[in-house]
Amino acid sequence: MIGGQARLKRRLLGELVRDNLEQIRGGVPGRRRRRVLGNLRLLALALLPLSIFAPAGSVSPARPQPAAVRAAAAAPPPAVSAAAPAAAAAGVPAPLPELRPSDLAPIDPAVFPLSVERVVLDPGHGGRNGGTTTSSGLVEKDLTLDIARRLGELLRDEGFEVLLTRDDDVEMSLEERADFANREAADLFVSIHLNWIEGGARGVETYFLGTTDDPSLSRLVAAENRGSGYSQADLRRLLDELYASLREGSSQHLAAALQRSLLRSLRTVNPAVEDRGVKTAPFIVLMETDMPAVLAEVSCLSNEEEAELLTRPLYRQYIAEALLAGIRSYAAGGRAPDDVADSKGTHS
Amino acid sequence: MSDEQEQDRQPDRGADKGAEKSKPQEVRVGIDLGTSRSSITASNGQRHVVESYVGWPADMVARKVLKRDVLIGGEALEHRTMLDLYRPLEEGLIKEGSTRDVAAVRELLRHLLQLAEAARDGGKGSEGPKVRAVVGVPAAALRVNKQSLRKAMSDLVDSLIIVSEPFAVAYGLEALLHTMILDIGAGTADFCVMRGRLPTEEDQRTLTTAGDWLDQQLEMLIRERHPEASFTIHMVRDWKEQHSFVGDPKGPVKVSVPVSGRPTEIDITEPMRQACEALLPPLVETMFDLLSRVDPEYQERVRNHIVLAGGTGMIRGIDKVLEHELEQLGGGKVRRVSDPVFAGSDGGLSIALEAPDADWDRLST
Repeated sequence: MIGGQARLKRRLLGELVRDNLEQIRGGVPGRRRRRVLGNLRLLALALLPLSIFAPAGSVSPARPQPAAVRAAAAAPPPAVSAAAPAAAAAGVPAPLPELRPSDLAPIDPAVFPLSVERVVLDPGHGGRNGGTTTSSGLVEKDLTLDIARRLGELLRDEGFEVLLTRDDDVEMSLEERADFANREAADLFVSIHLNWIEGGARGVETYFLGTTDDPSLSRLVAAENRGSGYSQADLRRLLDELYASLREGSSQHLAAALQRSLLRSLRTVNPAVEDRGVKTAPFIVLMETDMPAVLAEVSCLSNEEEAELLTRPLYRQYIAEALLAGIRSYAAGGRAPDDVADSKGTHS
Repeated sequence: MSDEQEQDRQPDRGADKGAEKSKPQEVRVGIDLGTSRSSITASNGQRHVVESYVGWPADMVARKVLKRDVLIGGEALEHRTMLDLYRPLEEGLIKEGSTRDVAAVRELLRHLLQLAEAARDGGKGSEGPKVRAVVGVPAAALRVNKQSLRKAMSDLVDSLIIVSEPFAVAYGLEALLHTMILDIGAGTADFCVMRGRLPTEEDQRTLTTAGDWLDQQLEMLIRERHPEASFTIHMVRDWKEQHSFVGDPKGPVKVSVPVSGRPTEIDITEPMRQACEALLPPLVETMFDLLSRVDPEYQERVRNHIVLAGGTGMIRGIDKVLEHELEQLGGGKVRRVSDPVFAGSDGGLSIALEAPDADWDRLST
């Protein structure tokens, strides 16, 4: 079974079980808001054992704790309903306490310092799947391959190990692309595409995995939930979810770095280029890859001026160099302050 | 066709790993509880489908003739003249306020579990394998319906997960992302857009214009055209299952009915077409409405991954008509599930097999 699909199924099973437990407890069956809060509770529980697993020294005891953990340690569980004692007396499990977004703080990816060595580049489309095509005969699959090859050269010069999902005009399914990156244990996955937007728009946009632009989803938090009844199996699932959230955070920072770099570089030769933002979307290649992954729409083929620019090797080289700068920035610090500011600015 | 004939054994599917075949320690089952038919797929390889009818002998004479306290499925339908016959799942849900209907659902479920060798005569706790069940219900099932079902099953199984039927179908097909499931059964037509999350209200729609509604339309149209003919709704249902179509017929649809007691052949091609095509406008309207609510970026993908399930979804030509209608939105692809009878229960079993033991323990009945 494909790893991403297995993860998705595991997550859905977790949601289904929680929904059924709510039925048994007499709660309102799953709605979006409740499920988000449910995830927050689970992640909060998952955070606690991290201090057990973390190697000595990797997290300093003096390091400030996330606000939510501090709050949970210092205060009684928030907002337990007045009915809870009566329910407990009746032998009915009390509902879990509600968490407010304001109680929550982001998980800091810096507690998992990771290096970037192997990068998989994914030139969009290929073979019979040409992608978008202009009336002048410019085909997306050819341009993405050219940009990926240029970027590959640049990354190798910088010392990265680079692999391309395709280095020729061949057709590959989205799952095959993600499988390739997973099999090769890539540290980063960058999928390169060109946009097509009706109405003459132009610009660049970069995606990372997500289902919503709700900022509360990118600020997953901690709070203690002792006595919640969660089992060892839950804990394994929670840790999976925790990893997923960290990967989301890394992907978001990579997306922000690429977007910022693309804009900065391309505006020097194409001043009208628009910032279409860092966005979340459940693209298959982002869903099914196991590492930080982004999909960059590096130009708009539907815009006549950008299509004309894309015919020039120099412009494609600009794009490749902009992507290089973004990857380099991410790999060097992972989280430069302006990257974070960018990502928040375009994401909220 | 009797239940035994309808049985479809597949010993390889999810057979208990390492368990002694004759005495498995645990059986996991997926159940599609339908208005018209209910099916079960079990981890011991058993698969069965029964008509969702339950009947109790109407009087002492009937009890003596039938020598049974309760009859289920096709057998109940066959002896319906001697029975108080119940079809307990109106529009896919347990009818509220009727203790006899709750009892009928229990009998139906017990029968399914017995067919699948997953039942214990003494109920939960008695000798026999531990039973863990996933039961599919219509997308629109309310909490009260689910709780009725949970209550009805409390001593039949050890643990229970209730799931929306289209989700079970999607899970079984591994069509969990950018897919629309259109599950047209007898009681309801369930729509569900899979977005990689547990479907919420906004992802789902349920129509009650489904197979039963079609039967009523067809009965009315045939009576208008052939007022002299004598027939029942059960006969109409059989004709529909054999001959339903939209678009062009394969040939004239002719059936035999008594007219003044004499078997007479009548042509029901046009009533059949009209009744089947009357289903289409609400289906298309609802499909378009749900599609319009999908993130614009994924609408094309969803349009190209529409899965048709359920008995009524197998009407000949319905997939092509829906594809034709989708051309208004830029085109789309509608495919049928390969095994409409068991798609829901197979999906339920997939969930049952993949749910971790610890979760099952928490969901004990």
